[in-house]
This record gives sequence, structure tokens and C-alpha cells, in this order.
Amino acid sequence: MDYTISSIAPIVLLPFFAFVINAFIASRFTRTAVAISCAAIAGSTIYAWRIFSDFVFGTYSANYHIHKVFTWFDLNGGGQEFAVKMGFYIDNMTAVLVMMVTAVATLIHIFSTWYMKDDMNYGRNGRFFTYMSLFTSAMLGLSLSDNLLSVFIFWEIMGFCSYSLIGHYYEKEVAGAANVKAFMTTRVGDVFFLLGIVALWTVVGSVSFVDLYNAIDAGGLVGKAVIGIPLATFAGMCIFMGTIGKSAQFPLNVWLPDAMNGPTPCSALIHAATMVAAGVYLSLRIYPLLDAGGLLTFVAYIGGITAFGAATIALVQTDFKAVLAFSTISQLGYMVLGIGVGSYNAAFMHLITHAVFKACLFLSAGSVIHSLHDHHTHAHVQEMPRMGGLRHKMKFTWFAMWCCTLAIAGIPFFSGFVSKDRILGDALIEALHSPVMIAPAVLGFMGALLTAFYMCRMMFLAFHGKPRDKEVYDHCHEEKFSWNRNLPLLLLAVFTLGVWFSGSLTGQGFVKVADKANGKYEWFQTLIQKPKKGQFENYKREALGSIDVREKGTFTKSKYDSTYGLSEEEAHHIHQVHYIGAGMSIVIAFTGVFIAMMMYLWGKWNPGFWVNTFNRYYRTLQGKYFMDEFYIDGLIKKGLLPFNNILAKFDMGFYDRFAIDGWAVVTRFTMRISAWFDNLFVDTIMVDGTGASVRLFNVILRTIQNGKIQFYIAIIFLVLFGYILAL
Amino acid sequence: MITLTSYLLISFFLFLAGVAVMVARKNIIAIMLGIELILNAAGLNFAAYTRFANQNIDGHIMSLFIIVIAAAEAAVGLAIVIRFFQVKDTIHIDDATELQS
Repeated sequence: MDYTISSIAPIVLLPFFAFVINAFIASRFTRTAVAISCAAIAGSTIYAWRIFSDFVFGTYSANYHIHKVFTWFDLNGGGQEFAVKMGFYIDNMTAVLVMMVTAVATLIHIFSTWYMKDDMNYGRNGRFFTYMSLFTSAMLGLSLSDNLLSVFIFWEIMGFCSYSLIGHYYEKEVAGAANVKAFMTTRVGDVFFLLGIVALWTVVGSVSFVDLYNAIDAGGLVGKAVIGIPLATFAGMCIFMGTIGKSAQFPLNVWLPDAMNGPTPCSALIHAATMVAAGVYLSLRIYPLLDAGGLLTFVAYIGGITAFGAATIALVQTDFKAVLAFSTISQLGYMVLGIGVGSYNAAFMHLITHAVFKACLFLSAGSVIHSLHDHHTHAHVQEMPRMGGLRHKMKFTWFAMWCCTLAIAGIPFFSGFVSKDRILGDALIEALHSPVMIAPAVLGFMGALLTAFYMCRMMFLAFHGKPRDKEVYDHCHEEKFSWNRNLPLLLLAVFTLGVWFSGSLTGQGFVKVADKANGKYEWFQTLIQKPKKGQFENYKREALGSIDVREKGTFTKSKYDSTYGLSEEEAHHIHQVHYIGAGMSIVIAFTGVFIAMMMYLWGKWNPGFWVNTFNRYYRTLQGKYFMDEFYIDGLIKKGLLPFNNILAKFDMGFYDRFAIDGWAVVTRFTMRISAWFDNLFVDTIMVDGTGASVRLFNVILRTIQNGKIQFYIAIIFLVLFGYILAL
Repeated sequence: MITLTSYLLISFFLFLAGVAVMVARKNIIAIMLGIELILNAAGLNFAAYTRFANQNIDGHIMSLFIIVIAAAEAAVGLAIVIRFFQVKDTIHIDDATELQS
């Protein structure tokens, strides 16, 4: 299919125009704004479907990609061309991602029309939908970008939108604090991201992905160093810091739980389809850079720590949405772990499957919260200890949520199993090959156990057992059927089934891609291929039909290329390890579910006993490892503030006193001299002197020219006599 | 014996007297008389040089011209003075300031 810029741009522009129209005109007419936003994202979905179907069913090739560039502006100074180019880069990964973002965002928009209807009835304007449109637009722009600079631009727009959406209920003080926290925390990563872009720009001279990959292939980054660190390591590290911020990885994970203060559909959008996914997507995009910089081990550690740490916190949360928030962090940790262990396609697959089931989980949570909404106090009931037994009243939500819970827990035949199992399998391979990778793999497997446990705990506490708070239970009322709530939940729940993403039981692939040669694999696995060093060179060669990319290329083998299917024996070995990993993760998932059932469904094991036995650990977990306290009390109050005070003292005592006041003394002295000079010389002598001399001549001339004829005659004769005498 | 020097001395004194009258007196008619004296000094010089230097009558003719011009000038000057007197009621020269800018 032929693509032009104008056939790709609507994906980004439709929601953007919806934002502009809503922001300036329609936001006052709430229902119009809602219609515009929904129509725009639906339109984007159609455009995205064109590309997606083309990539999957049409002209599929592992190396097929679209790269359209246009000049943004051209500073043609002094005959030297300096054009800033923007463009779209669509490969298999982008096509799948854009499809996911538009589809999930459309469903979230539709759900929002149900969830936010009270909001609208109570006289709020369409602000929520205005920002939702901009948010989606920015995510789509980021996905389609062909260079790091425009990624950064959209990245920042998303940061702003998350700020606006988290603070939607601005009258609540916590919401105001949460949006500032989210914005400021992610900014820490953003600064590093920008630094990385600048570092790459100075060396490569371009921030386009294609140029970047080519530079890596050509060895253009070898031997270059920034402040003593190899460039690839420095830039990769800096850009990965952006991922850490946006995707709430270990050191910067504190903002995401607070983001729960936004309306639940926006939580779904942020947590599932857009912002946090953008961080992982960025890391996937710069995978060759991370590989070249030798950062993958570090990435794996960050991912493992995040996956495990967030899962442990989720164990003890009592807030319905907080469990989901920590599970998001944990799942993002899995994606990053997947990148770190070189499981590129599995990490991306987990991004997609997670987007679907996490969106569904959040929308279901929104459905629960909305149903428990207290119309008298307008208080949302989100505390799980007050729920219980809700399955009798909310059958549909209960069903949808169980599908997603099984998916996230990694139960077979659900999508989460397919993707997470593959990440864990690759982690296992890495752990078997190098001792340093054992820790991330262990953390990953333990996190999987905890995930299964805490998700089932949440489900049992909320939906099963006896109602714990009778008032809440009696109050609960699920609407019989409302298409704009049930349809998104249903569709998302259906897509948590594993068959959509993996092969069928016979291994022939449920959805076949056009590439017949690889039909025996799952379409996703076939579609998304790990970029290798030198692969872009081979793209070109394969396009010319001269070499098959699966042959050993002339490229330098990186550590991970050697583990991937280059020899029959190795492939076999990998398959075996994968089966072991899959077996382990199934056992682990069922163990987690079993423990949760023993504790919360059958009540055989009393959770209170464990809480009392491990009271200290329990409180540490409830305090979220006291990371907020560490940042605020420790890092900021003890570290940053005294440092700031020292700087302030230096500023006041030295800089102000000597540099500024001292300069004032010098200035005043110079000023006096120049004033004196000005007064005496310029004013008195030059200016007044000129006046005085003119006046003097004036006096003389006026005296002579007195108009007295006799005086003239006397002068004439005096001069005459003088002349004669002089002769 | 009467020589050229005698005539020139007389002429010189006449001229000086004329100048003195012109500068010192405030009466316009007196000033006009001073001018007459100066013109007479000039005429006496012409006549004297003709008598002692060369034997033609150029000097005499020049003297006659001077007398005629002096007479005409006196007539014109007197007319101005009379008119001035009619307007200003005085012939004091310091009052004649109309041409002063």
C-alpha cells in the first residue's frame, strides 16, 4: 500500500484537532466535546487499522517499514544547509503499538462517557475529554516519530496531560499534590533524556532513529566518549533514565500510585495504553543503543527490582486502585526486565497484552467504584475491607475482571501467560548462561508468584466471601446494561484470551501473517523481530533480494545475537529452557492463586497471623518501603535542603556581597569620576565654554554695531590713520 | 614764500577740522558743514597739485566737479534734514535711528 505523510498524519492530527476544537470552542458544551473527542479517536483507529492490517495481512515482511520525512524548518544560513527534519517511522512494532493505542483509547473514551456522566451532569465542562484527546494524540505522535527529538516533544506533552488529568478533581488537595508529584518526578528522568539526545546529536549529528541505527552499525559510536564514559553507554543511560521516570521504574516509581487521584478512565489510559507504555516503547526503540552501550544487565536489574518490589507492596494494599497501581509498576518492571534479558519481542508483547488487560482492570475498577459511589456524601468507596461479596451484585464486572486477573496472574490460555512466560523463559536462559543475571531472573519469578497472589487476593476480598460492610453492599447497584460501559469491558475481556496473541494448540498460529515461511510461529513473534547490530544494513540487502536476513550476516555478533537461533542446536536448547521456564511459571502462578484461595477464599490460613508474625515487614510494605519519606525527609530535607542552604549562604554571603555589592562599589566610584569629568570638562568647559565664548563675541560685535553713524565714521578714520601711520 | 607744502598743510588742517566736526558735533547741519570742509580740502589739493606739478587744467576741472557735487549734495542733504526736522522736531543725529535694525 502506498503511504504518504497525509495518509499517516490523521492518526495524530484527528485527536489533536479534537483537542484544539474542544479547548477553544466546545469544552463549554460538554456533550459536544465528548462527541468530538470520541469521533476523533475512532477516526484514528480506522487509519491505524489500515496500517495494522497492511503490516499483518498485506505486504507483511519482517523488514518492511515506512519512513516518511518532511522538513520542519530550514535555517539556510550562509549557504550551509541546516534543515530540521521530522517524520514518521513505521515498522512492525509501531504498527502494532498504534493499533493498540487507538483501539484501547477508543474503548476508554467510550467507557468515559459512562463513567464521567455524573461529572458532566454536575456542571463540569469537557475539560476531561479535551485533555484525553491531547493525551492520546501525543502518544500516537510519539509512537510514529522517527526521531528522538519529536519523541521528546510528545513525551513532554504527555507529561503535561498526565499532570492535568491526575489533577482533574482540582478541588481535592491530594489530587493537586499528586499531579505536581507526578510531573516533578518524571521530569527528573526527562532532564536526563534530553541530555542523552544532546549527546547523540553532538556525535551522530542527527537524532533520527534510522541515522542512529546506521551509526551504531557503522561503529560510529565506538571510541567516542562523553565525560570519560563511552558515548553509547552515556546516551543509552540518559535516555533510559527517561524510561525510568515515565514508566515508574525503581528509583522514580513514587509518582504512579499517587496518580490514582485522577478519574479512573484516565488512570486506565495512563497506566495501560499511553504514558507508562511510552517509556518502555522508548527503551525498545533504542534497544540497539542499549545493547551497544552494554547497559542490558543494568536494565534487567532495574526491571527485576521494580517487578519484585512493587509486587511486594501490592500484597498489603487495601485500596482497590492502589493494588492495580502497584501491579502496573510491577508489570512495567517485567517489560524492562524483558528488554534487559534481550527478550525484545516478548517485552513488547507484554506491553500490548498488559495494555489490554490493565485497561480492562482499571475500567472494571471504575465500574466498581462508580457503583459503590455514595450519592449522599459523594465519597468513593475504594477500600477493599469494606467490600466483599460484590459478585452477586456485579456479575458482569466480576466476570470481566476475573478474565484480566487470570491474564495478569499468568494462567495459561490468557494473554499475560503468553508474554510474561516468554520474558521469564528468556530471563532463565540468561541466568543459566551468566551468573550475574541470576538475581533479576529470581526476582522475576518471585514477582510472578506475588502477582498471582495479590491479584487473587484483591478479587477475593472485593467480590467473594460475605459482605463486610452491609451499608456499602446494600448501596451497591450495578446498572443492568449500559452499552458504553459493558461494550468496552467485554471487548477488552475477550482480548485477554491468549489465542489472539499466541499460536493455537497445534502451533500453526491462530492469526496467520502473510509471511508463509514463518507461519508456524505466532504472528506476534514473527512480526516483531529483535533489531540486531547491522540488521538495518541487511534490511537494505534483503530488499534487493540478494540475501536472506536469517543467514549469518556480516554484522558483528552481539551477546544476544549468539543466543538467538543461529544454529539448530542452540535453538533446540533455547526451546527446552523455554519449556522449563513455562512450566515453572505455570506452577508459580497456580501456587500464588492457591495461597490466595487458602487465605482469603476458604479462610484456612488466617492473614492476620502472618501480619502479626511479620509485623515489621508488613509495616514496611504498607509504608511502600518508605520511599516517599526517604525522598522527602531524607533526600530533600536532609540532603538537598542543607545543600541548598549552603548554596544560599554562598549566594548571599559571597556572591551578593562581593560580586554584586562589590561591583556596585566599583560602579559607584567609576560613576563619581565620570560625573566629575562630565561636570568639569564636558559641561563647564565644552558646553558652557562654547556658550560663553559665543556670548563674548556677541558682546563685542554688538558694541561695535551700535548704529551710531559718528562712531562708524570715527572708526573708519581711526583705521585710515592707523593704516597711513603704518605705511 | 608760498610753496606746495603750505597748500598741503592748509588742506590737511581743513580735512582734520572736517573730520573733527563730523565726529564731535551732534547737529546734522554741522556735520554737513564738516563734510563741506573735507570736500574743500580735497578741492584745494587738486588745485595745488595742478599749480605746482603739471601745467594742464585737469585739477581745476576736478575742483569744479567737487564744488558742483558738494552743492548738489548739500541741497539733497538739506532737504532730508528739513524733512527730518518736520517729522522729529529735532536735528540731533542720535535721534536718527530709523535705519538701525
